[in-house]
Amino acid sequence: MRWRNRGKIPAVVLTIVLLLFLLFPFFVMISTMLKSSQEVYSTPPTWIPKELHFNNFLIVWSEFQLFIFFRSSIIIAVGATILNTLLTVPAAYAVARLRFVGRKLILYLFLVIQMFSPVIVIISLFKIMVHLNLLDTYLSLIIANTVFTIAFTIWMMNGYFKSIPVEIEEAALIDGCSRVQTITRIMIPIAVPGLVTAMIYTFIYAWNEFLFGLTFIQSRPKMPLVLALYNFVGRWSTQWELLTTAAFLAIIPVLVLFYLIERRLVAGLAGGAVKA
Amino acid sequence: MVETSISLKHKLWNPEARLAYILTLPAVVVLLTFMFYPIGYVLLMAFFKTNKLSRFTGFAGLQNFITEMTDPEFWVITGRSLLWTTLAVFAKTLFGMIIALILNVRYPGRKIARMLFIIPWASAVPISSMLWRWVYHPVYGLLNYTLKATGLWSTPPTWLGYPIPAFTACIWVDIWIGIPFMALVFLAGMQAISEDLYESAYLDGVNWWQKFLFITLPGIRHIVLIATLLSCLWTFNDFNTIYILTMGGPAGATDILITRIYQNAFKWLRFDRAAVMAFVTFVILTVLSIGYARVYFKQERAG
Repeated sequence: MRWRNRGKIPAVVLTIVLLLFLLFPFFVMISTMLKSSQEVYSTPPTWIPKELHFNNFLIVWSEFQLFIFFRSSIIIAVGATILNTLLTVPAAYAVARLRFVGRKLILYLFLVIQMFSPVIVIISLFKIMVHLNLLDTYLSLIIANTVFTIAFTIWMMNGYFKSIPVEIEEAALIDGCSRVQTITRIMIPIAVPGLVTAMIYTFIYAWNEFLFGLTFIQSRPKMPLVLALYNFVGRWSTQWELLTTAAFLAIIPVLVLFYLIERRLVAGLAGGAVKA
Repeated sequence: MVETSISLKHKLWNPEARLAYILTLPAVVVLLTFMFYPIGYVLLMAFFKTNKLSRFTGFAGLQNFITEMTDPEFWVITGRSLLWTTLAVFAKTLFGMIIALILNVRYPGRKIARMLFIIPWASAVPISSMLWRWVYHPVYGLLNYTLKATGLWSTPPTWLGYPIPAFTACIWVDIWIGIPFMALVFLAGMQAISEDLYESAYLDGVNWWQKFLFITLPGIRHIVLIATLLSCLWTFNDFNTIYILTMGGPAGATDILITRIYQNAFKWLRFDRAAVMAFVTFVILTVLSIGYARVYFKQERAG
């Protein structure tokens, strides 16, 4: 198989060059978060910190109380994940398995609306939240994040349910299981990988979300992490070593989760063209 | 006649359909309330006069549209949205293709390389945008320092301070976020191409460019189509990058439709103008989305 060995060296070289180029801001992040404040604001700037300052982590955690915003983000993301799952699983099962008028239309609509920008609806959504007295609550963000993830998660779960052989379910029905039992005892356990993907997707979406938080949340302790960091950009404009530290802490959990679902996510977005 | 009405009734209302309605009802209600109703409301708003509290103060007919469309600024922003989308999607496709081709070579460490290439997509877009703001910093930023120190560019611009550098800086961040998805999708497509084709091409002495043109590219053309459509939607919708980097500035030089809608509504309280722009955006997005949905369905059936 000599043909396979061709191009290895150029590939490795190009990989290194491209990674140095594309990961540039993360190198900057790591360099900055390990510096002292004086070093961050010295000219010319330096790449390698003269001495390593790990106490930036302590400062963002204790003085700037980053845990408050971590808590907000976790409440919002977990809430959205739960609400999304409760709505997605039954709906996805129905479109995957049951015959009813409007099934095709529902699927098509879901695929189209998953692409709509939140900005289009933000004005009306803001008014709805005012009317429902939900402004400046976690619930407003839980709902908004659920609404904007649900179309995609139903699509993905639909795919997973459809791939389960009908015979398994039929056998259970013959053995005296009710429809609901076949869903809870057979379909969901088999579709766990898909369900986990959908849940992680929702969690990440809510964790990274910025626009709804910017519009609905006013009081500081309720701010999700991403919004809090944004507000600090102004306030901490002279303290980038702290902002990069906080950014590092905010990115890590999501990065880990993302690696778990990345392949299935790509397959879900590209449809039949890519197999998971 | 009687028969058809019975069968129609049966079609709409049998035990299986009833269960389906019950199971889909919660999701449909939530979407109707928080997605379809808001879209309808904002589309309606485009035909009304509004006050600073976004209340309707009278029917405007097409007046809002006429006001907007006779304002040259509107065309500048719409044009910039299209330019933004076209340039960014082209660059994402190009970079994505290069990275996919590299990762398709079996070299040691490619699994790690793949993980590293994903990072810009995997991190939160708002946070990356904030990092880039620091990278672009004119005095303490490491980008300009590195450009100067390595001699690549002795007089780099103040990135976010002037119209053209700011636009370049913003679009680059958007491109940078979008590259990994393209690379991953293209790579998945390339790995589905039969190795026999490459092997026989090798035996025939075909060079890499011909191999790319006659085997790889035809093999992934559906994937390229769907990924490009998806990327158009994401790029057109990109709010975070611009809002966080420049807020549309300096002097509106980086505003696209999406960011201008938000500023019209929540900064200047010009809800009628925001609604007209949302209307236009809605039409563009619907066309793109339907294109994506059609290709997606076609492949579902084929795949």
